[in-house]
Amino acid sequence: MRRRTLLASIVVAGTAVTAGFYRFTDLFVKHYPPTPYDDVLTALVDRGQAVKLGALVRDAPAPEALAAKLRGLLKPNGLAGAARSDIAAGRLVELDGWVVPESVALLSALAAKV
Amino acid sequence: MTAFLDARTLSSATVLEPDIAIIGGGPAGISLALALADTKLNILLLESGAENFDPANQKMYGGSRSGVSYIALDAGRLRFLGGSTNHWGGWCRPLDDIDFEAREWMPHSGWPFPKTALVPYYNGAQALVEAGPWLYDKASASMGAQAPLLPLGEGGVYTSWFQFSKTRDSELPTYFGHRYQDALKRAAKVMPLLHANITGIRLSSDARQVDHLDVATLNSQGGAGKRFTVKPRITVLAAGGMENARLLLVSNDVMKSGIGNQNDLVGRFFADNPTPRDVATLVSFAGPPAPCYGSNVTLENGPILRATFSPTDSFRRAKQVAGSLTTVEQAVELDEAGKAAVITTAIALGVDASNAKAYSLGCGLELLPDPERRLTLSDEKDALGLPRLKLHMRVADEDFRLYHQTLRELGRQLLASGTGMLRINRRQDWSKNMDWGNHHLGTTRMNTDPKQGVVDADGQVHGVANLYVAGSSLFPTYGASNPTLNLVALTLRLADHLKKVTA
Repeated sequence: MRRRTLLASIVVAGTAVTAGFYRFTDLFVKHYPPTPYDDVLTALVDRGQAVKLGALVRDAPAPEALAAKLRGLLKPNGLAGAARSDIAAGRLVELDGWVVPESVALLSALAAKV
Repeated sequence: MTAFLDARTLSSATVLEPDIAIIGGGPAGISLALALADTKLNILLLESGAENFDPANQKMYGGSRSGVSYIALDAGRLRFLGGSTNHWGGWCRPLDDIDFEAREWMPHSGWPFPKTALVPYYNGAQALVEAGPWLYDKASASMGAQAPLLPLGEGGVYTSWFQFSKTRDSELPTYFGHRYQDALKRAAKVMPLLHANITGIRLSSDARQVDHLDVATLNSQGGAGKRFTVKPRITVLAAGGMENARLLLVSNDVMKSGIGNQNDLVGRFFADNPTPRDVATLVSFAGPPAPCYGSNVTLENGPILRATFSPTDSFRRAKQVAGSLTTVEQAVELDEAGKAAVITTAIALGVDASNAKAYSLGCGLELLPDPERRLTLSDEKDALGLPRLKLHMRVADEDFRLYHQTLRELGRQLLASGTGMLRINRRQDWSKNMDWGNHHLGTTRMNTDPKQGVVDADGQVHGVANLYVAGSSLFPTYGASNPTLNLVALTLRLADHLKKVTA
């Protein structure tokens, strides 16, 4: 086997192993089982932190209702747009005292429930 | 320059007959004496204490308390020349326009005149408290040039400023007794009399004017010493927010409920500014905010300033909230929930919070006027036989609820600007770290209507022609600003009035 071929094979194998670890283990990124709300939850970059924040939401509606509301909120301008609209309109909630936009709280609550 | 006169050296038969007797050598009494020093009036400044702290004198301030936890009555004020400025922190800030306004939603609110009536006296007051050139809310430009200020989003809270009293160089703050003793000694028409305790303000039999003052000294054992008389043309009571009420109440030989107390108002509406610590946690996404938020900063030309978050007048009107001044205190560590809140929110807003720093917030609050928060006389007597004071202290849930709204607005504006966020701590945490400003306010409140106030808009006791009251006991509503600068301005206004009525 030529040396160039050997090196290329090693790179390909390494990439495949890394991709496998990335996709099928939580070594690089936390994986969550599929849910009917993944279209909404993809708005979360750090779902692990959102789960912790969402755990502070009291009396959150059921996931279906949360997701339905969030789809409406996120549709026009995504999470950033929804959060800024909430801030401008004073739609804020206090989670353990933390003043956060309502959309962020609802999305975090959904993450914590599924 | 002459030394102060010691009342203990006077004989018991002494009768002093000044044009004006000022009772109390604190910031109000000293400011008034100095303001009148260049007139033809003979001024007698009666100070119950000495030039320096004396335990026997201080003991005269003892009293009892009930209700919510509050500072001992002989700990929150000082009975010697300079009064309570002797433990003053030097914090200065003018009252806001709205503090003078009658607000329908705030019962018993409103001064008998707008702030514009006090404005002409602020420069003189600023000079007396030695807080440097008048900057306050004009300081943002120069302070912002030193280090960028936290850009709050548009809304009901803004960055306001304290200025600090200072004497020569950087010595803080101006203790009125030490600072102005030479000026008082130099003033030919002012006679400061130390160790002179007022034991009674005696009215004429028709109760329409002060006839004379009973004065007593303490002997070396701390008991009653000499007693003598002062017969002034005009008396100004400037003994502090608690003692003003006490002296009116104990002087009950002619008016049986006490002078000025025909409508049961003397001693009622007592207030202070609660200063709870750790009311909230502020997170600055970009790292530490400018130094002026957490500590005093000196500008090149001298003034010392510190930033504070204040609700705007328009926000206070619209949302019906009281005054508050919120300051950044020490850095704190976030718990897991806090980190989750910051990371999740910052990401949602598309803001980098990798350098975020968290700080606890403290504040000074305005209490709503409350007639049941009051001073009365107890059965216990002091060394001169005067009944001691009894304070019933209250803080209403509403006082905290209103402040919560202001904090929530601050949190909203931090999010709006993308610069940070806020955690509002629990009410029980506020109470746990509750302190007080030692600002004794409201006990001889001003109102043009005798049924609503003890004194009129000039500080004259309703119905008693030659008796005036000076100091923060006149404040009918309190604001959140520290009172010294404001009570000195109010006193300078009284000085102008006295010049007119004696001309």
